[in-house]
Amino acid sequence: MIYLFQLMNGIGLGMLYFLLAVGLSVIFGLLHFVNFAHGAFYLLGAYLCYALLQYGVGFWGALVLAAIIVAAIAAVVETGLLKRIYRLDHMYHIVATIGLALMIQEIVIIVWGPVGSSVPAPKALTGAIMLGHFIYPEYRLFVIGFTAVLAAILWWVLEGTRLGAVVRAGSESTDMVSLLGYDINRINTAVFALGAGLAGLAGALAAPIRGVDPFMGVEALAVAFVVVVIGGMGSYTGALIAGLLVGIVQSLMTTLWPAGASLAIYIAMVLVVLVMPRGLLGRA
Amino acid sequence: MHRRRFLQLSSIASAALAAPPILRAARAADDTITVAAPVPMSGAFAANGKYGSMGTAMAVADAGSMLGKKLSYLEIDTEGRPATAVRKIQEAMEQKKVQLFAGGILSSSALAMGEEVNKHHGVFFTTAGADEITGSKCNKSTFRWSVPTYGAINETVRPLIEKMPKAKRWYTITPKYVFGEGLLNAAKDVFKEKGVELVGNSYHSLDEKEFSGYITNAVAAQPDVLLILNFGSQSSATLRQAVNFGLKSKMTILLAWASGLEQFEELGADVSDGIYFGAQYWHQIDSPFNKQLVAEVKKEKGINPNYSFAGAYLMAKLLADGAKKAGSADGPAVIKALEGMEYDGLTGKETIRAADHQVIKNYYLLKGKAKAAMKDKDDYADIISSGQSFLSPQDAKCKMT
Repeated sequence: MIYLFQLMNGIGLGMLYFLLAVGLSVIFGLLHFVNFAHGAFYLLGAYLCYALLQYGVGFWGALVLAAIIVAAIAAVVETGLLKRIYRLDHMYHIVATIGLALMIQEIVIIVWGPVGSSVPAPKALTGAIMLGHFIYPEYRLFVIGFTAVLAAILWWVLEGTRLGAVVRAGSESTDMVSLLGYDINRINTAVFALGAGLAGLAGALAAPIRGVDPFMGVEALAVAFVVVVIGGMGSYTGALIAGLLVGIVQSLMTTLWPAGASLAIYIAMVLVVLVMPRGLLGRA
Repeated sequence: MHRRRFLQLSSIASAALAAPPILRAARAADDTITVAAPVPMSGAFAANGKYGSMGTAMAVADAGSMLGKKLSYLEIDTEGRPATAVRKIQEAMEQKKVQLFAGGILSSSALAMGEEVNKHHGVFFTTAGADEITGSKCNKSTFRWSVPTYGAINETVRPLIEKMPKAKRWYTITPKYVFGEGLLNAAKDVFKEKGVELVGNSYHSLDEKEFSGYITNAVAAQPDVLLILNFGSQSSATLRQAVNFGLKSKMTILLAWASGLEQFEELGADVSDGIYFGAQYWHQIDSPFNKQLVAEVKKEKGINPNYSFAGAYLMAKLLADGAKKAGSADGPAVIKALEGMEYDGLTGKETIRAADHQVIKNYYLLKGKAKAAMKDKDDYADIISSGQSFLSPQDAKCKMT
């Protein structure tokens, strides 16, 4: 019974990890650079949700607005800064995005202070489901359902729409897409904003579960990396499978070998890298 | 020739740029006595450091001057890293001739700094938690104001068992390092003595952030009481998850080592309501000196002092008082003056035990209030009980070096 609950708990965690990692993965797929500021967008999403709730915006409004604002900020950053350094060496991408991450983190500290805070779950979802003597919070059930729907929509956008086709083609050859008459710059901006917006949404969704603090971005970035490395760089399905895998492994391990639970996900990553260097579903 | 000229000029320029602080420091050593606050001003514990630094600064300003010299204050950012802390302490002691230190919030940094200060025969007063500080790693220079793990357990777990004789099943969540083990072992001793069953324990690593799995483990064991033995942001995360999972209605929850008002502000009353907390300090303590401090801090800063602030204030004050009593700000003289000193402290009468330099003071059991019952914005909890529990210096394994 306890394993069933840990499994459910792991799925809840895993869906959040997926949401966090898929943006990073899609950005890498198209733009071919690793966005170290991804965790900072997650942080920003969480704090915007917190702030909007403080101003009396309802939870649902805060959730959507937080994601949109983060996406908008990301679009500005992409056109103002990152677009200019795409053609440079990877080192510049790393320096620029880490710098961006530090700036966002310090701004959060200046605006909201270094001490974290709790974020209340929406009134309708504050209860918990009882099964025998086991309990599962309703809000976490909602997160599982919500991210599942979102994952389906995202899959449809990437696989079923024209934009998705262009994005996938772009990750194969940007030159070809440009030659076919698509404005690759605009597509880059859109994809970067989408990825960051998803991270912001993940942050906003996670806020009622874990609270907010200025250092949550760094921690999220580490998990997102693990998920992307396991799932394969640039793969949507890979991010989904790896996100769930990481969440479930982490959760089950807290019962099997508690002291090593947070180590387990890194061991899983090392194993995958050793056996399948491109990740579960990665391309060359 | 040109190159040589350039080198000459630049070396003069750099020497000139570097000189003023050296000159200032040299002069400073003559007509002022410096109290330094080595605290984390950046990184994950920056909030604690900020309040600690404010506390030291206020204590120094209040003391004004003594022994015909002006008392001054130096903030040292340890970044929460033992290596950085030691290097900066070394600098302060060798170049600025600082002898008096009050700070060191994290145990790892505090242990390292205490050893460094001891090498230079200064005085280091800390609030860090690890038992070793006044136990197996005690030294001549190090003093500790906070109650170590033994007292924290005995003043929280014991009164709670006595309050709820029917709660026979306890579950613990413990971080796997010295601090957590110290709390867990002390708790096991109390359980054994009181005939309480420890129905399970979950260890977790020091970098764990996700606690829902541990909460599920705890639920499966069906305890009457959940005893949380981690600290800082980890304990806040654990508590949030416990409340998320609706544990409040199923069991009693005790956080043995809370970090005080800062933590209540972070958690919010919705989370802290009904939960028991162990605390070193609470601004509502009914003692003359605490009332005086609370009034002063409210007037000057417009806030209630929290644990980091109040602890830092008191430690800096004790260093100044020690120097005054000794008639000298030299390390060995101040140490001698502090040993065995009795004074009116924040928690009432407090004594600095000479044998291990541990301050004998109260530890508090608090209970979180509902938002509706709070009289002001900081009135998060009621004091349920308080008392003093300490191992003897022999049992704490302190051999003074």
